[in-house]
Amino acid sequence: MARDRFTGVGLGLRRPHLEQVAGMEGHGVPFWETCPENVVGDGGRAHRLACAILDRDPVLTHGLAMSVGGYDPWDEEYLQGLEQFLLRTGTPWHSEHLCFTSVDANCLHELFPLPFTREAARHTISRARELQARLPVPLLLENITYYAGLGEPDMDEADFIAAVLEGADVGWLLDVNNVYVNALNFGFDPKEWLSRMPLDRVAQMHIAGHKKFGGLTVDTHGADVIDPVIELMQWTLARLGRPVPVLLERDNHIPSLDALLAERERIQRAYDQVLASTEAGHA
Amino acid sequence: MPDSRPDPRPDSRPDTRTLRLQRAMASLVLDRDEAVLEADAGRAARRHGLSAADQQAFRAQGEALMTYRELARMSLLEPLESMFPVLKALLEEAGDWDACVQQFLDARAVRSGHYRDIAPAFLGWLVASAWGQDRWPFLLELAHAEMLEVLVARFPDGEPVPGLHAEPQPGDLLVLDPATRIVSYSHAVHRATEASPHPETRPTHLIAFRQADGEAQLLDLTPATSAFLVRAQETVLGEAAVSLGFDGLAPLLPLLHDLHRDGAIAGFQSPT
Repeated sequence: MARDRFTGVGLGLRRPHLEQVAGMEGHGVPFWETCPENVVGDGGRAHRLACAILDRDPVLTHGLAMSVGGYDPWDEEYLQGLEQFLLRTGTPWHSEHLCFTSVDANCLHELFPLPFTREAARHTISRARELQARLPVPLLLENITYYAGLGEPDMDEADFIAAVLEGADVGWLLDVNNVYVNALNFGFDPKEWLSRMPLDRVAQMHIAGHKKFGGLTVDTHGADVIDPVIELMQWTLARLGRPVPVLLERDNHIPSLDALLAERERIQRAYDQVLASTEAGHA
Repeated sequence: MPDSRPDPRPDSRPDTRTLRLQRAMASLVLDRDEAVLEADAGRAARRHGLSAADQQAFRAQGEALMTYRELARMSLLEPLESMFPVLKALLEEAGDWDACVQQFLDARAVRSGHYRDIAPAFLGWLVASAWGQDRWPFLLELAHAEMLEVLVARFPDGEPVPGLHAEPQPGDLLVLDPATRIVSYSHAVHRATEASPHPETRPTHLIAFRQADGEAQLLDLTPATSAFLVRAQETVLGEAAVSLGFDGLAPLLPLLHDLHRDGAIAGFQSPT
């Protein structure tokens, strides 16, 4: 199966590194993740370099602006381009965020939390099923970082996410940094939180750095991953007992490619270590 | 950049609590009355007819909700600051940059999910609203010039036009590369800088094109060569040259060869 190619720790493909990556054969990165919104309909030198890499190396796709929990109609032109792009890359699945990003056709370019209510869950399930029917590959939804709940909740975040994943029957892109950041901001135990979740639905994980601003921790994707988040990744992988691909995200304060490759290797070692222990335990 | 996203009538969306909560969040992020929202975040919920419990949830999390205002505005305004540094310098000098971008946000003009479309949406809003143009007659030209090279550099790649040849003949038509733009301004806006953002009033003709390596290039044209490059797409080269006072095509051949070599001209073709 194509998805068996995707194990280990991959990297987000970022504009400042395109030139260098396009010229590297032995970069050691098992797969890249790319945002289709930044590629579909674009042109020019960076676009050509990105396409050359995506045609050469294994790729997973991760969308930013689909507004799965929103009410705006799908952008039909973009959906057509997305379908072609997903087929071209050969990605085994496509992920979007469990959030809304636009209201009344105004794109806000930020990931906003959905209300943790039964009504919002029903609506999002319906939208996710609709979107899944339009995609040529399975849809995954990613849990986001949030800084405030939207309105008076009927349930907590964990129940909301589980309800949507189960109701829509989609896979889960589990962002362990988002769980960790939410745990810091809302004061819960991330392992206890994960223990309540449908981990059998996890097909991919994200890991990233964050930063504290005053009393709030923000998911900046702008710093190295801290050890407790790596440990949470290992704890989850051990629970899963299977080598789901992990993607290291870095979107701000993007370091040199060499530095990012070294950071990837650090996380890959932690990944390999826990999977070796899991296998030894099964032997 | 054209936006394909349909804008349905407001009544095509169900009036659910979830949608009203989302509208309240959009108000909280985009509305201009920041001090009022800071004092009472529940106002955004009240404005959209939400219950007392939802208003209370907004009030109780006011500080955290205002984080979203900061994050979303950063996302929406960063592309403007990086794409229009000279325009920003001009308006900041007059103390008007914040008012300009707030009016842009008030217009709810960002309709595309592509991040790269935010700056073109701002330019489109400047055109539609005529904001500031009575005070700065060159404002639109300046904004357009600041974005021109990026638009050309990122113009979507297409299939090569078939049936073109490289050597221009007097009976040929000129075919520009699809990314190439020939523009005329009343001000030398491409010479304006952040340190000196007021351009000289001077007719200016430019050709912006993408070189073979993908980098954008901007060249000054004379009024006559600019007119020739526009006219020769519809009228054969020899006639276009003579109609503009050139002594036949010969004086223009070096320019045509250079522009073809550098990627601005896709080629030449016999009229069908």
